[in-house]
Amino acid sequence: MLEIEDLKVHFPIGRDSAVRAVDGISLSLGAGERVGLVGESGSGKSTVGKAALRLLSPTSGRIKIAGVDITKAQGKALRHVRRKAQMIFQDPHSSLNPRMTIFRSVAEPLILHTRIRGRALNGQVAALLERVGLPGQFLHRFPHELSGGQKQRVCIARALALDPTLLVLDEPTSALDVSVQAQILEFLKELHGQRPDMTSLFISHDLAVVRFLCSRVAVMYLGRIVEEGTTEQVFAAPQHPYTRALLSAVPLPQGRQSGNRIRLTGDIPSPANPPSGCPFHPRCPEAIAGVCDVMEPVFEQSGAGTSVRCHLLTRNAA
Amino acid sequence: MSDPILSIRDMRLEFDTFDGVYKAIDGVSLNVAPGEALGLVGETGCGKSVLTRAAFGLVPSPPARITSGEVLFGGRDLLSLREKQLRSIRGAQVAMIFQDPMTYLNPVFKVGTQLVDAIIAQQKGAIARRAARDLALEMLDKVHLPNPQRQFDSYPHELSGGMRQRVLIAMALAAKPKLLIADEPTTALDVTVQAQILDLIAELVSELGLSVIMISHDLGVVAQVCNRVAVMYAGQIVEDAPVADIFDNPKHPYTLGLLKAIPHPLRPVEHLAGIPGSLPNLYTPPTGCRFADRCSHAVPVCTDGKPPLMDLGAGHRVACTLYRKEHVDA
Repeated sequence: MLEIEDLKVHFPIGRDSAVRAVDGISLSLGAGERVGLVGESGSGKSTVGKAALRLLSPTSGRIKIAGVDITKAQGKALRHVRRKAQMIFQDPHSSLNPRMTIFRSVAEPLILHTRIRGRALNGQVAALLERVGLPGQFLHRFPHELSGGQKQRVCIARALALDPTLLVLDEPTSALDVSVQAQILEFLKELHGQRPDMTSLFISHDLAVVRFLCSRVAVMYLGRIVEEGTTEQVFAAPQHPYTRALLSAVPLPQGRQSGNRIRLTGDIPSPANPPSGCPFHPRCPEAIAGVCDVMEPVFEQSGAGTSVRCHLLTRNAA
Repeated sequence: MSDPILSIRDMRLEFDTFDGVYKAIDGVSLNVAPGEALGLVGETGCGKSVLTRAAFGLVPSPPARITSGEVLFGGRDLLSLREKQLRSIRGAQVAMIFQDPMTYLNPVFKVGTQLVDAIIAQQKGAIARRAARDLALEMLDKVHLPNPQRQFDSYPHELSGGMRQRVLIAMALAAKPKLLIADEPTTALDVTVQAQILDLIAELVSELGLSVIMISHDLGVVAQVCNRVAVMYAGQIVEDAPVADIFDNPKHPYTLGLLKAIPHPLRPVEHLAGIPGSLPNLYTPPTGCRFADRCSHAVPVCTDGKPPLMDLGAGHRVACTLYRKEHVDA
C-alpha cells in the first residue's frame, strides 16, 4: 500500500551543510497493516510521515502509494493520491480552522474532491460525526467550543470523509489526557476492525500506544530505522541496544520497578552533524571501540525475527 | 510521624471571571512530611498546579481569591503573610521547577550569570560573587551536567532540554531549600532523558533529605520518584495513599479508571477503558461527588453531598461514598 524506498529528506542550512532529518529509510506497509514508527524528538519520524504524503519533498528515494510513484507527482496526480491518503496531526486545535464550523471543516474534503452537495452533504457529514461519536448538536459549533478529545474526533471524521485507504497519524493522542487518549485509541482500534483494508502509519514517541495499536513497529534513531519487526517480537525481545534502552526508560505505572534498568547518557546528537559510524555509538552502553565508531552497521535479520542495524549482532553471531 | 513540613488545610480557591465564579480548588487538605516525596496526579484542569502555586502566593489576586484555608509552612500561615515576607520564603526555603525549562531561563544571559544572580538573590546578597560562582559550579556538578565549566559560559539555547532542566534543578537546590515543587518537570523531555532527570531527582531527594511535591499527569513518572500519591479530580483530592497502594490496591473509581486507561508498554493490552464523559463544569460544580456522573459505580447517595476523605488505615485515604458504606457494614 505504502512503499518507502531509501528515503532521504535533508534540510539545507547555509551553503554546504544540511540537517539530515531522514537519512535513508525503507519501509513497506501492506494493505490493512498498522505500522508504528517510534522514536524520540529529532529522530525524523514526523518527517517520514509528511514525506510519505508528499507534504514535504524528499531529497532522494522513492515513495509509492498503492503502486503509484508519487515522489515527483504534482498537481492533479498528487491531488488524486491525497483523496485516498489522509493525515491526522498531534494538535487538533491548530489543525482546525477556528472560523469554520465543525460541519464546514468536515465537509471541506467532500466539497473539494466530490460533487456531493446539499442534503446529501449534510447527511454524509452528520453520519461521519456520528461514526466518531459526536452527536448532531456539534455540527454548528466552532472548534473553541469543543474539548481536545472532541476536536481530535472531528479531525478523524474529516480524515475519514473521503474513505481513505491510507492514514498517517502523527502523535494523534499526545496532546490528550490519558482518559481521553484511551477513548481515541479504542476508537481507532475499532475503526481498523470495521475497515480491515485501511492501512495506517502510526507515528508516536509513546511505546505503549504503539504496542496497543500496531501490528508492526519500526524504531527510528537519528534519521534511520534501527530495528523493525512485529510488535510482539520487538517488545518481547528487543535486539538493538537503543530499543532496549527506550523500553527500559518508560516509567511504568506500577508500585515496584524492576531493578536493572538501562540508562542512556547524553542526548540525541544533532542530525546536522551526525556521529561517524553507527549514529547511536556515543550513547550506546555496548559500543565496540574501533568498530561502531568507524563502520556504519547494515540491516540484518536477528535471531528473534526482527531486522536490526547493529554491529553487536554480527559479533554475537560470530 | 514527625510534624509535616507543609500542611495545606481546607483550601478553597476561586477565580472571578466574566463567566462567573470558577471554583478551582474545593476544600483540599494535604500534608507533606519531611523527606517525603509526594506525587500530585490528575488530568488537565484538576487544579494540581494552581493548588501548589496558590499555597506560595504565586496565583495573582485578582482574579484568584482564596476563600478559606491555611497553609502552614515552617510554623507560619503563608496565607496571612505579606508579599515581602513570602518572597523571603520562596526560592530560599521552597524551590520550584517547571515543565518547560527554556521559558524560565533568560535567552540573552549566560547560564552561569543567571545561576550566580539567582544564588545571590536567594541569599539576599549575603554571599560574595566569587563564592556564589563556586557554589554555582558545585551545583552544576551535583546535577551531573557534563563539563560544568563549559556549560557555565553557555547560553541557554546551546543546551539541550535535559541539560536546561538540570540547570534549573541546580538553581532551585542551590539555596538548600526544604521543599522542592516539581511541576511536570519531565513532560517536555524525551523518555530516555526523562529517565535521567527522574533518577537525578530521586538521587537528590535522598541525598539532601529534601521534601518534594511532584506534579504530573503521568502515573508512571510519579511511581518512580514518589513514596506517596494524591490523586486530584475537579479541584478535590479523591485519593491519597502510599505509592504501592495506589497501583496495587486503588480504591477510588477515578483512580481505577485512570489506571485502566493507560496502555502498558511491556504487556499486551486488548482493550483500554476510557473514562466516559468530561470534567464537570466548575462554575456550577455538582453538590455531591464531582465524579458521580462519570462513575460506573455511582449510587443515588453519591449526589447527596461531598464525600469526605475517609481513612482506610495504613495512610490510605479515599473520598468515595462506596467506602463509607463498607465501613458502616464492617
